[in-house]
Amino acid sequence: MGSFFSSLFSSLFGQKELRILILGLDGAGKTTILYRLQVGEVVTTIPRQTSIRPYWRCYYSNTDAIIYVVDSVDKERIGISKQELIAMLEDMEGAMSASEVSNALGLAALKSRTWSIFKTSATKGEGLDEAMEWLVDSLKSRQ
Amino acid sequence: MFTLLSGLWKYLFQKDEYCILILGLDNAGKSTLLEQIKRIYGNNYSGLAFEKIKTTIGLNIGKITMNHVKLIFWDLGGQQELRSLWDKYYEECHGVIYVIDSSDERRLEESQKDELVVNLELEKKKLEYKCHKCFELEFKVIFTFETVMHDSHMEGTPLLILANKQDLQGSLDVETVKNAFDGNSSSIGQRDYYIQPTSALTGDGISDGISWLVQRVKGNLDRPPRKKDIT
Repeated sequence: MGSFFSSLFSSLFGQKELRILILGLDGAGKTTILYRLQVGEVVTTIPRQTSIRPYWRCYYSNTDAIIYVVDSVDKERIGISKQELIAMLEDMEGAMSASEVSNALGLAALKSRTWSIFKTSATKGEGLDEAMEWLVDSLKSRQ
Repeated sequence: MFTLLSGLWKYLFQKDEYCILILGLDNAGKSTLLEQIKRIYGNNYSGLAFEKIKTTIGLNIGKITMNHVKLIFWDLGGQQELRSLWDKYYEECHGVIYVIDSSDERRLEESQKDELVVNLELEKKKLEYKCHKCFELEFKVIFTFETVMHDSHMEGTPLLILANKQDLQGSLDVETVKNAFDGNSSSIGQRDYYIQPTSALTGDGISDGISWLVQRVKGNLDRPPRKKDIT
């Protein structure tokens, strides 16, 4: 009974923490937006470089929403902005590469066992045939 | 008495185990080579059809026994992103087979050069070239052979270089391959090496290469074999 009330209370009054990512090209106004929301006044910020864009992905996990900021005046770089957005969205869905998977699982430690990685999707039914074919072949050719 | 007998038993039946690493770029013919080795040396080995061999993303293993020695072959995938796995095997291997696609002149350079060397060359060329793009295009080669050979965990391992795909017309002859690799002989270092023309598909030249490697691996005191009793 107590837990019911506490969950009711938290759903009514509780503050759930959500992670929202603010992304966009340099100079788009991300930090200015953040300060505007937080402090309520305009704070002049210095744009950061492009070289840190690869690190965006470090923040992808456990993110509930994204705010993507576009500099509507910057006609020249709107294309780049679009590319980055698409790349980011693909990246978020994206699976690890074969080498990343094998490193993460420490497969290189298996030195007395034949192994292979297949890119499959059970829902789409992709790659499964190849994987099974490999399994059958390697069982057949077992010495 | 027992120790004497067991010692004799071991002396007679113990087999030395050597691990051989098969490296090279993707599509050089490493898996086909391993398959052919299994066919040549494996007893009652049924074999896998060569056309069924696909790009390796992982590790293929072959075990053969010859002259009272057990050889374990590790055939690793050669795609660029998989090359980061190679060094996990350096420490435990006793010998290396480096397979080259002799029919692919364009990638011979990619196969032999190492990032460090390339970077040095880049720095030099940067001064000569006015345009950034030109030199980038010309010297964009990825590290492989030299990186492997410069690795300290690889020190002293005998190296068998196979100029593979000799069955294809227009493939480079051994002399050309040898010259290409001898130009960077510093990387081969203090190790025994031997260049052998082969065709993994037809099996030509493989047994010559393997016999050389077995002899060198057995004679290499730096890397003693793994002992394995017959049980």
